[in-house]
Amino acid sequence: MRKTRYALILIAATAMMSCNRGGAVGEAPGKPTIALVLKTLNHPYFVDMRRGAQEAADRLGVTLQVQAAEREIDVEKQMQIVENLIQTGIQALAITPSGSREIVSALVKARDAKVPIVVVDTRLDAKAAADAGVHAETFVGSDNYEGGRLAGEYLVKATGGKARVAILEGIPGHETGDSRLRGFREAVKDATGVTIVASQPANWERDQGFNVFQNMLQAHPDIDSVFACSDLMALGALEAISAAHRTGSIKVVGFDALDDAKKAIAEGTMAASVAQFPAEMGRAAIESAVKVIRGEKIPADIKVKLELVTRDNAK
Amino acid sequence: MNRARQFGTLIGLVALCFVLWILTPYFLTVSNLLNVAEQTSINAIVAVGMTFVILSGGIDLSVGSIVALTGVILGMALRDAQPLALALTLTLAVGVICGAANGLLVSHGGLPPFIVTLGTMSIARGAALLVTEGRPISGFAPSFRVLATGRIGFVPAPVIITAAVYVFAHLVLTRTTFGRYVYAIGGNEEATRLSGVAVRFHKAMIYVVSGLMSAVAAVILTARLNSAQPIAGMMYELDAIAATVIGGTSLMGGEGTLAGTLVGALIMGVLRNGLNLLGVSSFLQQIVIGGVIVVAVLLDTVLKRKHRA
Repeated sequence: MRKTRYALILIAATAMMSCNRGGAVGEAPGKPTIALVLKTLNHPYFVDMRRGAQEAADRLGVTLQVQAAEREIDVEKQMQIVENLIQTGIQALAITPSGSREIVSALVKARDAKVPIVVVDTRLDAKAAADAGVHAETFVGSDNYEGGRLAGEYLVKATGGKARVAILEGIPGHETGDSRLRGFREAVKDATGVTIVASQPANWERDQGFNVFQNMLQAHPDIDSVFACSDLMALGALEAISAAHRTGSIKVVGFDALDDAKKAIAEGTMAASVAQFPAEMGRAAIESAVKVIRGEKIPADIKVKLELVTRDNAK
Repeated sequence: MNRARQFGTLIGLVALCFVLWILTPYFLTVSNLLNVAEQTSINAIVAVGMTFVILSGGIDLSVGSIVALTGVILGMALRDAQPLALALTLTLAVGVICGAANGLLVSHGGLPPFIVTLGTMSIARGAALLVTEGRPISGFAPSFRVLATGRIGFVPAPVIITAAVYVFAHLVLTRTTFGRYVYAIGGNEEATRLSGVAVRFHKAMIYVVSGLMSAVAAVILTARLNSAQPIAGMMYELDAIAATVIGGTSLMGGEGTLAGTLVGALIMGVLRNGLNLLGVSSFLQQIVIGGVIVVAVLLDTVLKRKHRA
């Protein structure tokens, strides 16, 4: 029993003391604290976003608290994080919602605590937010629909308007993936030579991208192009293509322009990827939050640029 | 011995709270403690069912998927404007059916619980995705959401539901023959059977309890998120097992209490909350929580060895 006590105290104490050097929330008086709650930190996209946010926070002299759930899809955990951070008296909350509707319940609590909200990367569901009376100060992000269209237009051009396309979707019901998909379908709609032969979710994941595309290739050996709603899934598909010894014969277009994808594009195994600028989003999010704290006006929508990366401009 | 172990866990919780109180001024406030209690409620309720199962020497890996399936059934019933009472009954019934399927396969089919519930985990998840086509169902009436957002006095509704569940389940476990059989089956199944107890029936019922608890948790989760997600509840089985084990229930069965499980769930909730308040990196949080689980089981084993020596 005594051992139990000592052991637990020891773990708790050492764990917390050692973590504490990052600075407890609100330690510096007068220096406002902004929380940035991300979907996850095990994706390079969000790691870049955090870097951009941290640079902005350092430059503007605010304390930044970054937290994320263990899994990207865990809205309930994200909600807990928001509830917990509100307890620490943060002055503003920047958040990339894990669920456009679900997170509204957590934001109600932020509103009640009078914490201004900046939404980043993934929009809130307009109806859910309106019904709950949640108002975001601004949305910082790129237009996923526009990105999907860029990818579609590129594919039509690169294939000369004749293609049999497979699509790897994100998690169904996610605003981000759905918008990219709608944009892509819109862009290829009028190209009569372009047929979408298969469209299945691979839940944003690399290994699922591999498996799902391998299955698609079994069912439709004539697939000659792929649009993946994220690069991780596109990279999975690339592996499947290589396993089928068809590298180079299938055009793969991804989204996010991750480093691995850019490398594949430069090498010629992948055709293109739509680049977003997550670090830019992180920077804009923190700048906006600081302006809101200072009582300055900010636009309701802050668009971050998109860019198509192809062999011509891949580094 | 049991009492000593439980007391140890409670001291662990108190010590943890004490450390957090020293480290951050935001921890020991009424609003934060209620916050922790509310956040812990879902895991605590799932862990009630898990405690019954583990006490009987089994394991239930399907709880998270059953939370998802019963949640989306609830969401669909509410979306189709069914009366609240009917929707809730349907939800609990689906939980009971899932639990009964587990139970019958384990007790009458004679299959290992690990395999059976691993299968159900996949089936229930697939069913939840299938009926919703993978899309969440959201936007419910305030009359339903009050189950998560309501308060009696200053106590949030999920905390009240959790307390009620624990009191009731504790009485079942300690004051009924069913409760005694749960311990008996976990202690020595063969001896229990030889003494004339309908072991198969009671074993099946234990998994029914677990399914039912998952359904109750699903009600709170759905009300809390204002959304029923087919991908909800992932890894809940691990959190529930962790709470049960930290609370001193032996994975070998036959030993443990619900009070211990509640403390175990609270330790996990307080840890997560405290690490958030302190701004600890989310990667480090996983390490700390994992460490606590391992140390709790280690202590359990060491104490038991000492006790036997």
